[in-house]
Amino acid sequence: MPPPVVSIRSVKKRFGSFEALRGVDLQIERGEIFALLGPNGAGKTTLISIVAGLLRASEGEVRVLGRDVVTDYRFTRCAVGLVPQEINFDPFFTVEEALRIQAGYFGIRLREERLVEILRALDLAAKRTSNTRSLSGGMKRRLLIGKALVHEPQVLFLDEPTAGVDVELRQALWRYVRVLRDRGTTIVLTTHYLEEAEELADRVGVIDLGRLLVVDDKDALMHRYAGKTLRVTLAAPLAAVPSPLEALGARLEDGGRSVVITAEPGASFGPALSAFAQVGLAVKDVETARMRLEDVFVRLLRGERGPEEHATALREPARAPGEVSRP
Amino acid sequence: MIGYGLKTLFDKEVRRFLRVPGQTLLSPLITTTLYFLVFGYSLGSRLRDVEGVPYARFIVPGLVTLGIISNAFLNTASSMFVMKLQGTIVDLLVSPLAYGEILAGFVGAAVVRGLLVGTVMWAVAGLFTGFELAHPLFALAMVLLVATSFGALGFMTAIWASSFEQVNFFPTFVITPLTFLGGVFYSARMLPPALRHFTLANPIFHIVDGVRHGMLGLSDGHPALGLSLAAALCAASLAGCYAMLRTGYRLRG
Repeated sequence: MPPPVVSIRSVKKRFGSFEALRGVDLQIERGEIFALLGPNGAGKTTLISIVAGLLRASEGEVRVLGRDVVTDYRFTRCAVGLVPQEINFDPFFTVEEALRIQAGYFGIRLREERLVEILRALDLAAKRTSNTRSLSGGMKRRLLIGKALVHEPQVLFLDEPTAGVDVELRQALWRYVRVLRDRGTTIVLTTHYLEEAEELADRVGVIDLGRLLVVDDKDALMHRYAGKTLRVTLAAPLAAVPSPLEALGARLEDGGRSVVITAEPGASFGPALSAFAQVGLAVKDVETARMRLEDVFVRLLRGERGPEEHATALREPARAPGEVSRP
Repeated sequence: MIGYGLKTLFDKEVRRFLRVPGQTLLSPLITTTLYFLVFGYSLGSRLRDVEGVPYARFIVPGLVTLGIISNAFLNTASSMFVMKLQGTIVDLLVSPLAYGEILAGFVGAAVVRGLLVGTVMWAVAGLFTGFELAHPLFALAMVLLVATSFGALGFMTAIWASSFEQVNFFPTFVITPLTFLGGVFYSARMLPPALRHFTLANPIFHIVDGVRHGMLGLSDGHPALGLSLAAALCAASLAGCYAMLRTGYRLRG
């Protein structure tokens, strides 16, 4: 059985007295899109920087395709591509030169066909001979992706790839990420845009305060944590929640014109609807909605658990349940 | 693969300074030529011969050394520090280049710039004072060691520095004073005994003296001492750079 593309075991990282990673275990499987979610300072960038070779772990072991990233760095760095969060460019060189130089660092003489393919895929063909300084922010970000792909890495790390990118370009990048995955490239992305993870990811990991709170298949995570909301708009506003509904956890919104009830995943709204009938309220409209990944993310950061004890959660939440410091 | 990665980095670093020739080649050339004209001709005409050679000719090896030192140092220091500042250092750190290759690429380009500036300065001075070289191989060894040493010191400084002020600290407060007090413009024999002892304790003096031996065939001290000091400085600075890269000091968190 081939080794996982990335294997992270008990990795800790300290910056002086600050512990950025507090013992992270994670495996990234071949061909998947894995989204690493977490608030600012959670440890996302630190973790992927250790895999890519930008940082060294204080403790623990990181392997790429079964090889150690420190002792066998030449092999592992050829297998990894990194698109950093911060835009960088060298104003001395053109787009083509930047790509050729980056390929050269990997010992690769970039073929014309490959160069053209990258430029076209990232919509940079018209800027081939332009100085990198003259590119727009979006173009510079696409150039970063091109530089990370010149050596055809088996796993590509995208650190906040669409931060500050307009909607059109974001969707184009998402399409390209799927193309890469379909070609067999494993993708690991960190993002603040939960919509991005919901749209792209096969699996999701949530990290906070240097600990992985949960790692799971996205759909399973949604099934496990994503509850439902029932919103009943009334014909006339209420001053207080009637007691049969209050017992079900209902709350008033919109100045008493709406009654909202949240149900755990798998729970039924049958009792709620019966309670409405029992109270005899005049109902104007009824809406149900499933929580999005964003809501699941907030629940996890708050330390709330789903109704089932999930087997794949690797760590207990770092803070006391209910305490919210960084939603 | 190894060779092509190193070649790419070396080519990139050379192209970088060749793209701004006014700043990297012409500017030091003009500065040093002015030194030569002012000190060598204007003032030199009032001075007697030094160690049997005209003063204008006497100062050429020191000026060439000064040009090599400052340009080799600035090449690595500015390139590396700007890479850190702009974030393009990431491109290098995620690559499979070995520490020795990164070092060779940067320092190799610094040596090329240092020797290019030094050679052009020597050629310009030669138009006025002649092109004879007393010990060409010795001179070549000296300038190679000097360029390598100060290229490596520039590299170390850039890794250590976290601001432009820190990058400029070493050339401003260490290299320039030691070089100007290192016999570029005078022979130690011209100094009173107290100052002579001070000058002889300056390692740059012996390095300049070694280059002068190679180019003019005359020296204040033992040329072998200059060669040995230059070789020791070269080995120590390269070892320091390698240690910084291997440990990831200020580069890999």
